[in-house]
Amino acid sequence: MSARYDAHVLIVGGGATGGGLAHDLALRGLRVTVVDRGEVTSGTSGRHHGLLHSGARYAVGDREAGVECIRENMILKRIAPGTFECNDGLFVAVCDEDLEYLEPLVEGCASADIPVQRLTAAEALALEPNLNPELKAAVRVPDATVDPMRLILRFFATARHNGADIRPYMEVIGLLRHDGVVTGAAVHDHVTGKEGEIHADVVVNAAGPWSEKVAAMAGAEVPMTPSPGVLLALRGRYCNMVINRMHKSGDGDIVVPQRGLSIVGTTSWVVEDPDDLSVPEDHVERMYTEGSKLIPALRHAERRAAWSAARPLVGAAGAATGRELSRTFQTFDHAEKDGIEGFVTITGGKSTTLRGMAELCADVVCRKLGIDEPCATRDTALLPHTAYYSEAVAA
Amino acid sequence: MSATSELPGAAEREQPGPIHHKGPGPSESGWLDPRGRGHGGRALALHRITGLVIVFYLYMHLGVLSMLLIGRSAWSSFLSVVTAKSFLALEVVLIAAVLFHGLNGIRVAFVGSGIAVTRERALFWTGTVIGTGAVIFAALHILGAL
Amino acid sequence: MSQEERHPGGPNVTQTGQDDTRRFRIYRYKRGDGGERFDEFEVPVGPHTTVLDALRWIRQHKDPSLALRFSCLHASCGTCGMQVDGREELACVCSVQDHGQQITVEPLANLPVLTDLVVEMNGFFARFPHEHPIIRSSGASSESNGEVHLEGTHEVTLELPSPVPLHHHPLHHQHRAAPPAVDFVRLEDCIECGLCLSACPVAATSHDYVGPAALAAAERLLEEPRGVKREDVLAWAGRPEGVWRCHVGLECTRACPAEAIPAERIMALRRELTFGGPDDEEDKR
Repeated sequence: MSARYDAHVLIVGGGATGGGLAHDLALRGLRVTVVDRGEVTSGTSGRHHGLLHSGARYAVGDREAGVECIRENMILKRIAPGTFECNDGLFVAVCDEDLEYLEPLVEGCASADIPVQRLTAAEALALEPNLNPELKAAVRVPDATVDPMRLILRFFATARHNGADIRPYMEVIGLLRHDGVVTGAAVHDHVTGKEGEIHADVVVNAAGPWSEKVAAMAGAEVPMTPSPGVLLALRGRYCNMVINRMHKSGDGDIVVPQRGLSIVGTTSWVVEDPDDLSVPEDHVERMYTEGSKLIPALRHAERRAAWSAARPLVGAAGAATGRELSRTFQTFDHAEKDGIEGFVTITGGKSTTLRGMAELCADVVCRKLGIDEPCATRDTALLPHTAYYSEAVAA
Repeated sequence: MSATSELPGAAEREQPGPIHHKGPGPSESGWLDPRGRGHGGRALALHRITGLVIVFYLYMHLGVLSMLLIGRSAWSSFLSVVTAKSFLALEVVLIAAVLFHGLNGIRVAFVGSGIAVTRERALFWTGTVIGTGAVIFAALHILGAL
Repeated sequence: MSQEERHPGGPNVTQTGQDDTRRFRIYRYKRGDGGERFDEFEVPVGPHTTVLDALRWIRQHKDPSLALRFSCLHASCGTCGMQVDGREELACVCSVQDHGQQITVEPLANLPVLTDLVVEMNGFFARFPHEHPIIRSSGASSESNGEVHLEGTHEVTLELPSPVPLHHHPLHHQHRAAPPAVDFVRLEDCIECGLCLSACPVAATSHDYVGPAALAAAERLLEEPRGVKREDVLAWAGRPEGVWRCHVGLECTRACPAEAIPAERIMALRRELTFGGPDDEEDKR
C-alpha cells in the first residue's frame, strides 16, 4: 500500500512509542521511516515484566491515568488478540496493614470504570494455589500478561505492511538543521558501516530515556529523568494471573508469569545515563524477599536472570527515587516550546498506553503538516508478530 | 518508497548475507563440528562416518573377493597380508564400526518412530555397553589368539 | 537510596576488588566491505556477568559499531541467540563464569548474517507452518482462541470482536457474580529463538529442512488444534523436508532454552504419521 500523502515523517526510536506512532501515521497515509541504533524494542520497551495494566495500580492516586489504562487495555485486547494471556490479575493483602488499602483500591477502580471484584482468601487460593496461605483478602482486576516485544512487533509489522520503512541498526548521529528548522537526520548504518542523511518534513523524537540526548542534537531541551528498576526472572511458573501486592506502589510488589518463568519486580532509582545501568545485588535480594511474601515458593526458586530497565520519566532532576514523578506522557512540539520547526518529542508513558500516546502525537504531527486525517488505530486489527519477518528486511 | 533510496546501505541490506555455519570448510560439513555437541550430535556424526566406512569396506571386500578369480597364488599372497596383526587390528576397528552403526541404528529407529523417546538415554547407554563389550570380546579373540 | 559507584565493568561488577577479565573473540561482518573477521576485546567481568552484558559493555565503551540483537534481557523474547564457544546460547542468560579465559562469540548457524552477531530471522519464520498461534490453553483443549489467518499476500481476514461495554464486563463491581470459571490461557513455551535450527546437524546439510522449531510448532497444533485441521498438519509435517529429514541428533532439545522440547515433539509427529489412526479421538495423549 503506498502513501496517500507526500509528507515524510522520520521517527527516531524503535520502541513501543515508535512502533505505535509508525502504525498510526502509516494508517493515515503518511510516509514513515523508523530508525533505531539497535534492534527494535531493544531499549526499555522490551524489558518490562509483561504486564498489561488494568489501571488499578494508578486508579487510587490518579483517576485519569486509571481511566486511560483500562481504555487502552480493552482496545489492545481487541486489536491484538492472540498476544495476551487474558487471565486477569489479583491484588492480594498479606497483612492487616494491606487491608487498609482495600477500600481505596475498590473505590478507585470503580470511579475509573475499572472492572473489579472482591474475593475472599479462599476464592483467591482456589484460583492461585501458590499464593501466600496467610493472605487476608484479594481483589480481581482485568490485568493481562503480554510478551512485550511481540506486541510491539505487531505494530511494526502492520506499519510496514502499510508502507512504513523500519530500519533497525541505523543510528542517528546528528539532526539536520536549516534556518531553525529540523530537516532530517544524519545516520550511521551499522549494517554496512556507511553514513548518510535522511530528509523528512517532521522528525519525531521517540527515543524513550534517550530523548534528552536526541533533543539536544536539535538544540532543544527535554528534561528526562531515566529511572531504572531491577527485575528478577525465576524458573517456574507459579501463577497464571498477575499477582499484585495490595498496597501503595513499592518495591517488589508484582509477580508476572512469563511462560515457564515468574518475573518479580521492581525497584526504582535515578540515573544520568540510560546506557549505564547496574543490577545491584541488594535489589535482587529484595525481589526475593518481597516476591515470596506473595508466593512463598519464590524464595527458593532458581534465578534465571536479573536485569534493569530505565523508565523514561519526564521531569527535571531532583527526584530521589523516581517514584514521585508522574507516569503520564508528554508531547512537545518544539516549534512552540523552543522555536524549532519540524521537530516533535513524545516521551514518558506506560507500555499499556502505547496506542493512545501514539494517537495524540500523530494528531500533533498531522496538524503541523496540515493533514486532516482521523486516527484509525482504535479499530484496526494488527498483523501477527511473525509478519514482521515475512517481508524482506529492506523492502 | 522513494524515501528508501536515500537510506545509506539500502542496496547492501537487500542482498542475501553469508550463512554462518558450524566448523571450518563448506557449510555442508557443519555436522562434523564437535564443539558444543551432546551425545546425540556426536552419535549422528559417528553414524555417518561409520556408514561411509562400511560402504567403503563393502566395495573393498567385493574387490578383494574378485581376486579369487585370478588364481591360487594371488590369493595366498593376499592372505599373508591380511592375516598380519596390524591388519587384524583394523578388522577390530571395522567390527567396532559395524557394531556402532547397527546398535545406534536400532536406537535411532526406536526413537525416531516415537516408540522409545523418553527412554532414549537408556537405549544409548545400553547400546554403548553391549557394543563396547562385543568389541572387547572380538579384540581379545582376534588379536589374543595370535 | 544510594547508587553503587560506577565501576568500569559490566553490570553486577561490585567494588570488592573484582579483578576478573575475559578476552572475547567476536565475529564481525559489515556488508559492503565484504570481510568476515574476528575482533578481540578484554572485558572486566563479575560473578553475575552474562555474555550479553559483556557485549553491551564492548559496544558502550570500546566499539559502538558492534551490532547486537537483544530485547528482554531474560530469555523471554528469544532475540539474543548466538554461538558461544561453538554452543548455542541465549547471550542474556549465558554466564561468563561458565566459560574460560577466552570466549569466542559467533552468530547463529544456518541463517544468513545481517551484520556482526545479528542474523536474518526471515528464513527462520518462513519455515513455520502457515497457522502459528502463540496462545494456548493451560491444559490441552481444542477450543479455538482468536486465531488469525494469513493468506497469500497477508491480507488479514480477522474479525474484530465487538468491544464489550465496560459495564457489561463480568468483573464489574455492579455485576458481581461467582468468580468466573477458571480457564487460563498461556503463551506457548517456544520463544522462536532459532537456537534449535542453529544446533541441528541436519540443517547444516539440508538447507530446505524446515527445522525443529517449525516441526515442534506443528506438533503443538496437534496437541491443541485451535481451528487447524489435524490432517493438514500431518500432511505438512510428512513432507520430505519435514519430519523425515530429522536424523535424531537431539541437539535441538539440548540447545532449547525454553523447554519447548522440539526433538520429543518431532518424534511425536513421526509416531502419529507412522502409527496414528485417522480418527481425531483415538490418539489423544
